[in-house]
Amino acid sequence: MISKAFPSSFCETVASGQSNNKMCSTLKKCGTYRTEECHDHGSTFQGRKKGGSSFRDNFDKRNCHYEHGGYERPPSHCQENDGSVEMRDVHKDQQLRHTPYSIRCQRRTNWHSEDEIRITTWRNRKPPERKMSQNTQDGYTRNWFKVTIPYGIKYDKAWLMNSIQSHCSDPFTPVDFHYVQNRACFFVQDASAASALKDVSYKICDDENQKICIFVNHSTAPYSVKNKLKPGQMEMLKLTMNKRYNVSQQALDLQNLRFDPDLMGRDIDIILNRRNCMAATLKIIERNFPELLSLNLCNNKLYQLDGLSDITEKAPKVKILNLSKNKLESAWELGKVKGLKLEELWLEGNPLCSTFSDQSAYVSAIRDCFPKLLRLDGRELPAPVIVDIDSSETMKPCKENFTGSETLKHLVLQFLQQYYSIYDSGDRQGLLGAYHDEACFSLAVPFDPKDSVPNSLCKYFKDSRNMKTLKNPYLKGELLRRTKRDIVDSLSALPKTQHDLSSILVDVWCQTERMLCFSVNGVFKEVEGQSQGSVLAFTRTFIATPGSSSSLCIVNDELFVRDASPQETQSAFSIPVSTLSSSSEPSLSQEQQEMVQAFSAQSGMKLEWSQKCLQDNEWNYTRAGQAFTMLQTEGKIPAEAFKQIS
Amino acid sequence: MRKYRSHWSQGDREGYQRRSNYYEGPHTSHSSPADRTREEVVTPTLPGHAATRSQMATSLDFKTYVDQACRAAEEFVNIYYETMDKRRRALTRLYLDKATLIWNGNAVSGLDALNNFFDTLPSSEFQVNMLDCQPVHEQATQSQTTVLVVTSGTVKFDGNKQHFFNQNFLLTAQSTPNNTVWKIASDCFRFQDWSSS
Repeated sequence: MISKAFPSSFCETVASGQSNNKMCSTLKKCGTYRTEECHDHGSTFQGRKKGGSSFRDNFDKRNCHYEHGGYERPPSHCQENDGSVEMRDVHKDQQLRHTPYSIRCQRRTNWHSEDEIRITTWRNRKPPERKMSQNTQDGYTRNWFKVTIPYGIKYDKAWLMNSIQSHCSDPFTPVDFHYVQNRACFFVQDASAASALKDVSYKICDDENQKICIFVNHSTAPYSVKNKLKPGQMEMLKLTMNKRYNVSQQALDLQNLRFDPDLMGRDIDIILNRRNCMAATLKIIERNFPELLSLNLCNNKLYQLDGLSDITEKAPKVKILNLSKNKLESAWELGKVKGLKLEELWLEGNPLCSTFSDQSAYVSAIRDCFPKLLRLDGRELPAPVIVDIDSSETMKPCKENFTGSETLKHLVLQFLQQYYSIYDSGDRQGLLGAYHDEACFSLAVPFDPKDSVPNSLCKYFKDSRNMKTLKNPYLKGELLRRTKRDIVDSLSALPKTQHDLSSILVDVWCQTERMLCFSVNGVFKEVEGQSQGSVLAFTRTFIATPGSSSSLCIVNDELFVRDASPQETQSAFSIPVSTLSSSSEPSLSQEQQEMVQAFSAQSGMKLEWSQKCLQDNEWNYTRAGQAFTMLQTEGKIPAEAFKQIS
Repeated sequence: MRKYRSHWSQGDREGYQRRSNYYEGPHTSHSSPADRTREEVVTPTLPGHAATRSQMATSLDFKTYVDQACRAAEEFVNIYYETMDKRRRALTRLYLDKATLIWNGNAVSGLDALNNFFDTLPSSEFQVNMLDCQPVHEQATQSQTTVLVVTSGTVKFDGNKQHFFNQNFLLTAQSTPNNTVWKIASDCFRFQDWSSS
């Protein structure tokens, strides 16, 4: 029997063209795209029997006219040896399909022959009389592939597409995503994407650790591409939609669009069930009404929402959707648009409404899809129960200084005042007294010399002992300074600083009779050099033992320096410290003022800069002069310090 | 040339071994992973404390001492953050019984309190960008080997906003004849942007 002989795959390729209304008799439902479903049995390995029977139907009704064949096969593909059995079957089937009687005898000879021979035969045959011109254009210049995911219906569409995209080496654009029974299908255009997609098969694991397989077959162009609306039609549709658009409410009313007088007058059939019409409509919405809030699709005989699923990308702001008086059979259809954050939904008049046992079951099923829904079928819904675990409550709030007892706090703060006054003074040798003979010091910065912006941190980088980036064991040992002499020497080599002691935060985190560990967090400013004025943040951890006369003796010192955040920079130094501004300066003595004038005249610097220089050098004129000359030869004085030559 | 074992004295042999250990990677000088649980950080006995020495170690010994302490620190930090992220309930095994934690200014002390605290802390995702450590001078620690570890990086709690954090640990070593177990004696954690969170 013929039906047994021809594998079902044939039916796919045949049916992937325009479907035929005459097939309806065997099917439950009419509808243009629907018939594809029955023919479309996914992979070649499934549903053979079904394929066979419907083939027979095709065969009988040979009047049925497939406008678009998809039988043409560009020569290059014939030689492709990508191991797809489906393709070979397809070739075979095409031949058989067209003129079955004539080739039956040929089949016997060709059945076991090589690919090439079969194809040669095919090419010599006269193609049957059909509208070929259009097809050859489509077929030869653009290769469409149909991608099928069995049981694709189980997965959330967004998750599935994202997983596939991320595993796929070639980016692709899925066209006409739809479901056929359990399968998810979509089309892609070029061969490289198709082969990349083939490779993704069995690579993605779902929740139950099952691998998802993906079948890729050749196919004709998808429906919406083949039957793309002509520009004239699109223009008319756009005008019609404009008329139906309410600007103030951002609402588009597409009720009964098919029977719109304008469209009918021009003989344009916008049947929204058809993928091409729905795609065109969504395209116009995306371009002209991107801020759409309300969409009314009432009375359009919609029985499935595959076409509408793109609305989540094209009109994501839609909050009100009216799907009443359509032919939606199941609430599952709504899952296809559940990406929309709907607040109002109309579904009455759809067969799906009667599938629920009672109103509350209906409401909860719809709510499952749209948790934030406020109104259904015009009725206010009780406020949704949104379970929002406020995790910030479970974390303890951040507190300020942790310093234990008052005496301890006082001790530590006093120590820090003394320490930093010496540290900031310009001569750090005074710190020798603070350290134990065998103390240790190291410093770390989260700075990578590969970073593009060289900033003040780079001066600290050469001493940085960040073991995450430093792998050289010799350096690890070297950069740990030991003995107070070494430590103070290395501290003196670090840039001059000014610490903001008013904004420091101290955590005293370990205390025994012999030891005190505390960490200081704060900010400091660079006071000289290229990055003068830039604010850095630091965290310094001290481990100290009780020293002589109620002071502390540092045994371990670790300094971590990083860039200050904008917030820290702003709030730092909020208590004004003497700056270079000419206003708000403490009054100078007569002598000092004269010195400033003289210095300014000699150096050429502005008054305030001269004053600063003198102040820094404790009003020692010669010393200030030397400092100035030195800095100038080093080029460290910015140009703005100098007076303009008037 | 010293060919035979007998030509080497005990001290030489030890020194020789130590020198070869110096350049090995962090994992080779530790006992094999099989014979210790993941929640313990264990290192071979440190040379500085093998004998009853109280005077200052020689510079070579100190370097090796520092090196081994640093390796323990590195390994400890890896285990700590991994346990914090993936096996939170086991985290308190890394703390001494009387350990204290200062978490953004909140004091938590004792294992029970620590257990409660870590239970209520949301799930975390740590990434450490900076690590530094120093051996703590024995004057402060009464000859109990202690290492100061300072870390910094980013953390996300419950997948929310990312915070930068600084954390300091005092790790103490509890030596047994075969190996050394490191545990946290004291811990201080703070967000860098604590004032705004």
